[in-house]
Amino acid sequence: MTSTDKVMDLEVSVIAADKNEYVKIGCHEVDERIGEIVRFVKLRQGNIEGIREGEKYSVPIRDIYYIESVDDKTFLYMKGGVYESGRRLYDLEEVMEPYHFVRISKSIIVNLMKVVSIKPALNGRFVCKLRNGEEVIISRKYVPDVKKKLKGESV
Amino acid sequence: MKEHLKECLRNFFIIVTCINVAMFVLGSILAPDQRFGYEAFVYPIFYAALASIPTFFVSAKRVLSVKQLLFREVLGMIIVMALLFVVMFGGRPITHEIIIIAVSVAVSVVVIFAAVNAITWILDSKTAQDMTADLKALQENAGVEE
Repeated sequence: MTSTDKVMDLEVSVIAADKNEYVKIGCHEVDERIGEIVRFVKLRQGNIEGIREGEKYSVPIRDIYYIESVDDKTFLYMKGGVYESGRRLYDLEEVMEPYHFVRISKSIIVNLMKVVSIKPALNGRFVCKLRNGEEVIISRKYVPDVKKKLKGESV
Repeated sequence: MKEHLKECLRNFFIIVTCINVAMFVLGSILAPDQRFGYEAFVYPIFYAALASIPTFFVSAKRVLSVKQLLFREVLGMIIVMALLFVVMFGGRPITHEIIIIAVSVAVSVVVIFAAVNAITWILDSKTAQDMTADLKALQENAGVEE
């Protein structure tokens, strides 16, 4: 029996209102299965795992400016620097949807809360100016989806 | 693909209009007494279709920066100019009159290129303004401070 086949006991207990809520995992080893649960819990709290210089950090989603996929690697662009994510862009697109993130091109998902203004570029494309001064391009193909998202509709 | 097609069609009709204006201006200057048959109505459509070929078939796999796109547009314009010269003057001897017409056509292509981009820029500016207004409303609703 491999570790992924093992069934975990699940215990949920109600604690006093004055105590901090917590999630505690008892496991034989911290494997991919445990990592997945940890990532899910962090995500529910508005955090995502980011890697920088080999160290893992818990990155607040609302602080991410945009996420870019470059050569099969995914990067999270923050005010304080760039973190790598082990997750694929399409996966993050789905996960980040409730946090006002939207896909603007094949390789970029932007946080709409970090956009200052939108200006035209050439050929029906648009440029998003971000709060950190960077600019990212909305591809023509993704303009209708961005418009929907800006109106508060689901994409 | 649908968006690309819409964009090509929009550009096509803007080019048709610009070519009509260019034919009127150039014709009035270079050959004011020239008379045409009904086939003259087809020329703007034909030349606009010719000018739309590079835009229709060229689609970048990655997102180009504004400078890269501008470079591609200028390159497309030069190809269109070359295509027009081949169609209009191909096989004919180069005379003084042909050089004058060719220069006029080249200037017209540049003016039309600038006009098409200016018109689409104006249309896109309105869209961008609407999008920015929606963005501000969304950010306000989400409680994001400026």
